[in-house]
Amino acid sequence: MPSRRPVITGTGIISAAGCGVTAVWESVRTGRTGLGPLTLFASPRFANHPVGQVRADVDALAGRVRGSRSDKLCWLAAREAWAAAGLAANPKKINPVRTGVMVGATVGGMPGAEQFLTTLLREHQHRLGPLRFHECAGAADLCAQQIGARGPVTTLSTACSAGAMALLAAAELIAQGEADVVLAGATDSLARLTVNGFGSLLLLDPHGCRPFDARRTGISLGEGAAMLVVEAEETAVARGAKILARLAGWGASCDAFHATAPQPDGRGALQAMQRALERGGVTPAQVDFVSAHGTATPDNDAMEARALKQLFGDHVPPFSSVKGLFGHTLAASGAIKAVLAVQSLGAQAVPGTAGFEVPDEKLGLEPVRVFRAQRVDRLLSNSFGFGGNNVALLFERPGVPPVATAAARIASPPNFVTTTTGSKWFAVLGVGVISPAGKSLTEIARTMGGGGAATSWFDVPALSPGDRAQVYAAGEPDPEQLLEPGRRRRLSRLQQMAVVAAHQALRTTSAATLAPERMAVAIGTGLGALNDTAAFVENMILKEERAPRPALFTNSVHNALASQVAIECRLAGLNSTPVQREICFETALWQAATELAGGRADLALAGAADELNQYHLAAGRRWGWWPESSPAIRPFANALAQPARPLPGEGCTLFALGRADGTTPPLALVSAIRIGRRETNDAAAEAAWILETLRRDGVAPDAPDLLLTGANGLRAADEFYQAVAAALSRLAGRPVACGAYKQSCGEFHSASAFGLLTAIGLVRGEIAAKHPCKTIVLLTLSPTGTKGMCCVRA
Amino acid sequence: MEPLIEELKQKIIAGFNLEGVTPAEINPDAPIFGAGLDLDSIDALELVAILEQDYGITILERSVADKAFASVRALAEFVTANRT
Repeated sequence: MPSRRPVITGTGIISAAGCGVTAVWESVRTGRTGLGPLTLFASPRFANHPVGQVRADVDALAGRVRGSRSDKLCWLAAREAWAAAGLAANPKKINPVRTGVMVGATVGGMPGAEQFLTTLLREHQHRLGPLRFHECAGAADLCAQQIGARGPVTTLSTACSAGAMALLAAAELIAQGEADVVLAGATDSLARLTVNGFGSLLLLDPHGCRPFDARRTGISLGEGAAMLVVEAEETAVARGAKILARLAGWGASCDAFHATAPQPDGRGALQAMQRALERGGVTPAQVDFVSAHGTATPDNDAMEARALKQLFGDHVPPFSSVKGLFGHTLAASGAIKAVLAVQSLGAQAVPGTAGFEVPDEKLGLEPVRVFRAQRVDRLLSNSFGFGGNNVALLFERPGVPPVATAAARIASPPNFVTTTTGSKWFAVLGVGVISPAGKSLTEIARTMGGGGAATSWFDVPALSPGDRAQVYAAGEPDPEQLLEPGRRRRLSRLQQMAVVAAHQALRTTSAATLAPERMAVAIGTGLGALNDTAAFVENMILKEERAPRPALFTNSVHNALASQVAIECRLAGLNSTPVQREICFETALWQAATELAGGRADLALAGAADELNQYHLAAGRRWGWWPESSPAIRPFANALAQPARPLPGEGCTLFALGRADGTTPPLALVSAIRIGRRETNDAAAEAAWILETLRRDGVAPDAPDLLLTGANGLRAADEFYQAVAAALSRLAGRPVACGAYKQSCGEFHSASAFGLLTAIGLVRGEIAAKHPCKTIVLLTLSPTGTKGMCCVRA
Repeated sequence: MEPLIEELKQKIIAGFNLEGVTPAEINPDAPIFGAGLDLDSIDALELVAILEQDYGITILERSVADKAFASVRALAEFVTANRT
């Protein structure tokens, strides 16, 4: 049996402690810290706090590559990793369709948004240029474009564990056979938002961070990127690549406890570490070293020490934290630690803990102080994020005799339905929705029967006083029925939407009786909590950093949505927040399905949410994305003299997926969940991709009656969707109609979650259709090239 | 001190969106956080922002905040001593 074991064949890194693996390892060896003064931007309030700023000229190093600082950092690390793996020189040795990119990112182009808002609020000028690379998804798009990846490409944003989450997703892709090579890691640049945000939480240590030290008071922020080439052992061996390390185990969990504070008893962290060891088939005694998260906040280090003592008892292996060398690089942290793990396994030496001097008796543990040689066969690396999003990764030296294959280690049966024909289907057990077309499938069916949702007006004072934009606005979530005042008082409207939809989706399931750690959540968002983020930054700019607002900052983090849902509905399994623009929902669906199929969850909540925001509307208007005013969205109205342009929308749609347990019949079945990337507009190739995916999951290729698409009235995109449907008809040998749903929800990044609900309504016969629809393929094509699909039937 | 205590209670109710809570229900000698009001660490930090905004008091260390927030009365004393 050829091995689908994920191995590492290349690494790359750029950080305050050096550019390139060799330089960084030299800093680690000598313990030379990268912390220093903040010069990247002015921060009146936090100027005296040391940061891990990348001192190299990032723009010059990146050359002609365009993107945010974070995007460029990512590509610089990726370029090094790709070359180190021997793939820059020999790109033909791998299959692009089986090559993916997984990036963790939380800051994205935030510095550009800060610049835009500063100019707008202080000089009353609209300079949109800096907003162009706002999204976190830019780095993954850039890397994919540079290496020509046409397999799964996506971005995950689980705060400080995002880098480890991206590596976990890469490992799953390899282990499940969905990709052979995945360029994976993470990036984050410094931003005024994060400096002021962590400052507002009183979590910045003016002395520089002191992990596990009795005097520690907080983190030092850092920036950087690290990328790794994760590859299936069989393809790495076949192409003669040098295997640097094995990614032997991985595990995720969620505290489901608090927006920022870790569960004090370390339960969530322990769970993630245990899952990583189980997956790797090793016992705690076989772990030689732990690369701690060790942020140097009082709470994190106390919690982590407690979790280590619970896992290892009296035999906690040597451990250290490198945050004193790099600063806390947020998403990049887990990826930087992964690169160092590979170095440790190769050099048989471990990093020390810069900043640590005085042992904390209350912890009862002391980290390794300085770099030293030691035997390291297996190394466990921890990453814990806001919202209690925990990920642990287990790395193994290639020479160590491998334990059983990953597949053999899965104790629980997969949670999908297999039909008599051998196809794999996930049951949709419940839905929750807050949309412009209604707050239930029945309401939405009525709206769609009437031709689509009504538009309304949204105030956009950012354009000019009194200006408005025509939009598809979602109704109010009405949390009063579900949440007591104490539990909803700090939730933003977007969070209220997600929490209300989650309760709705879980109501018809057995969630109340399941163990929390057996329930996973993945909620995609294209742009996240725009309104809270904007409010925090406005306040920061207008008040010159006085009185920063902590609640706005904690709400601004992309994964605050999924974390809040996890807290409200006590879901302690994997918790993820994909942010890959138009396919953030398909990524969420894929992650949820992967947890179910792997038997790690009995129930998974998957969905997506986005909200309208005046700055987004203002920018879109100036760029000509949104019209001044226009008729509502009319997909495929290309014959009209004046084609309708899309109007912006918003909403939240969540699905409870699992195995039908007999108590309630499933609403619908979902299969053939896949994400990918295309480089050209080739309709026949996309149709072939759809059929290949259907076949992969045992769905008859002639099954689909309808291709339900993200068509929005823009001619080129609509015509391409129609061409794909026509090609699908030819290949499948029967007519496949082409449909659309954005006339009922508007145009926004995560609209395809509403698309899946539309498909469910159609296959159930609740939404009226011209022709009977028994099986529907939902297809989403992003203008940046990524794509996602799934197949739905009753 | 009493008018300031009342003022702070009002700010806590408004700032934390405490629907249905009246100033009379807040015991001026009970801890503000971790007790009856069901307020958490983020609320404590929001209170830090309120103090800076309304009284010009900048707190940069958690330990200072913890001491000041022992009770509404302790907070009033802290504000009186430090306001600018």
